[in-house]
Amino acid sequence: MTGDRPLVLVLLEMALLVLLGPLVTGAIQKMKARLQCRQGAGVLQPYRDLIKLLRKGTVQADTASGFFRSIPVLVLAATVAAGALVPVVRVGPPAFPLGDALMLLGLLALARFLTAIGALDAGGAFGGMGASREMTIAPLVEPVLMMVVFSTALTAGTTELGALAAHRGTSWIVAWHAADFLGFAAMLVLLPAETGRIPVDNPDTHLELTMLHEGMLIEHSGPGLGCMMLATHMRQIVTLGLVAALFFPALPADSAGATGLLLGAGAFAVKILVLALYLALVESSYAKLRLFRVPQYLGVGFACALTALALRIL
Amino acid sequence: MSAETVHTIIDDLGALLLFTMILIVAAGQIYRAIYAVAAQSLFIAVAGAVLATATGNVDLWVIAGITLIVKAMVLPWVLHHVVQRMNIRREVEPVIPVGATLALAVLIVVVSFQLSASLGSVRQAITGNALPVGIALTLTGVLAMATQKTALTQMVGLFASENGIFFTAMSVTQGMPLIIEIGVILDVILAALVMAIMVLRVRSTVDADIADLDRLRG
Repeated sequence: MTGDRPLVLVLLEMALLVLLGPLVTGAIQKMKARLQCRQGAGVLQPYRDLIKLLRKGTVQADTASGFFRSIPVLVLAATVAAGALVPVVRVGPPAFPLGDALMLLGLLALARFLTAIGALDAGGAFGGMGASREMTIAPLVEPVLMMVVFSTALTAGTTELGALAAHRGTSWIVAWHAADFLGFAAMLVLLPAETGRIPVDNPDTHLELTMLHEGMLIEHSGPGLGCMMLATHMRQIVTLGLVAALFFPALPADSAGATGLLLGAGAFAVKILVLALYLALVESSYAKLRLFRVPQYLGVGFACALTALALRIL
Repeated sequence: MSAETVHTIIDDLGALLLFTMILIVAAGQIYRAIYAVAAQSLFIAVAGAVLATATGNVDLWVIAGITLIVKAMVLPWVLHHVVQRMNIRREVEPVIPVGATLALAVLIVVVSFQLSASLGSVRQAITGNALPVGIALTLTGVLAMATQKTALTQMVGLFASENGIFFTAMSVTQGMPLIIEIGVILDVILAALVMAIMVLRVRSTVDADIADLDRLRG
């Protein structure tokens, strides 16, 4: 199998995503602060938080089993593995069989499942509540994400993300098929849900009313919490990378050499920044939805994704 | 513009129209439904302009201009004005859950695509997916009317449905005679005014909405 991305490049991209994950969160928080006329913390704040957490000791609930300790590592591992499937600096299929967009969504679902199991294992009321809510939202989000992937994969004839991005090519909105508009709209609706942001979830608080993801982290502490937070940052940048690969234009794969790689990395940064700005705008302009309103909100995404598939197939 | 480009643009506009339709059906607040229907009319006007450039039909330019002014600006403004005058709750109250309405809307889209696929050669003759999109818009507009309790949201559904008919007529026939289009638009304006006045009158005299009228006894 001949591919455009050798093993070294894939590993490099994965490491890049891990390193840049917290920066995206920091950038979104900074943009939000500026939109709300606040100074806000620096964009490097998530890194400082992580370093602080890694230096602390671990406190664990008495009721938690031995498995609880391994949860953060497993979650982080699943999310980082998902990061290997996202094309960053160069598009095109990898040089070895790696996995496709379905694998990516599966790994993210696995991380979500492990997080929920961990929250239930600790036996806290907050964690259990968060887990049950997260598991209510998840089946509304994941199938729709898959439908969006399928609606673009149908023309490319593959579900491999690098190949999908290469098939998208350099063309921008002008060359979009009608189904792409609806698929992108569905993706924009789902993006706050998948990255755990307003109007579905609130990443800034552990308060009872808003807790979904944060509620599940409440029993973790020290390095374990650090791993979970890093996994959250990572999940966010992976999801944004998925959207960028599916819908945004990509540089052709033949621009080899250091210049090509740098150019690709710059283009990726721009794409992620655009999506981050979108998230910051949504977070600043909407209120958190009541939990029972969330299915209605996600229903818009579902209807858009299904219509996109209908446009593509029929 | 080549015929291929026009095809693509009309198809893309059809997708955007369907998206605004989904927003109208799923809108939790009446203002969002009004803005969505305004956006929809704007897309219809753009479609009219595109078809006008493609066919060289001057009537279509006039129709696109009238659509832009009347349907994308004046009618939403009237609706907005009525909402403000009435001081009603801004949340909309559907008859059946929004999820069920959305499912029905998607079903309508799939069925209309299936139906127009069975038309075969007729579909080839006209502009891309305009026919199934138009049918879906019209029927979903009716659905939006049927699932709403308040008169105002039913008006939004009516305008959306009318947009669907307009889009179908415009793209299938490459522009109807100007006099017919103007007549249709005048009808819509008249209907909107009559309904707006009636809603306000009903509101001020009996303080009831359309959904309460089924409890009337002689």
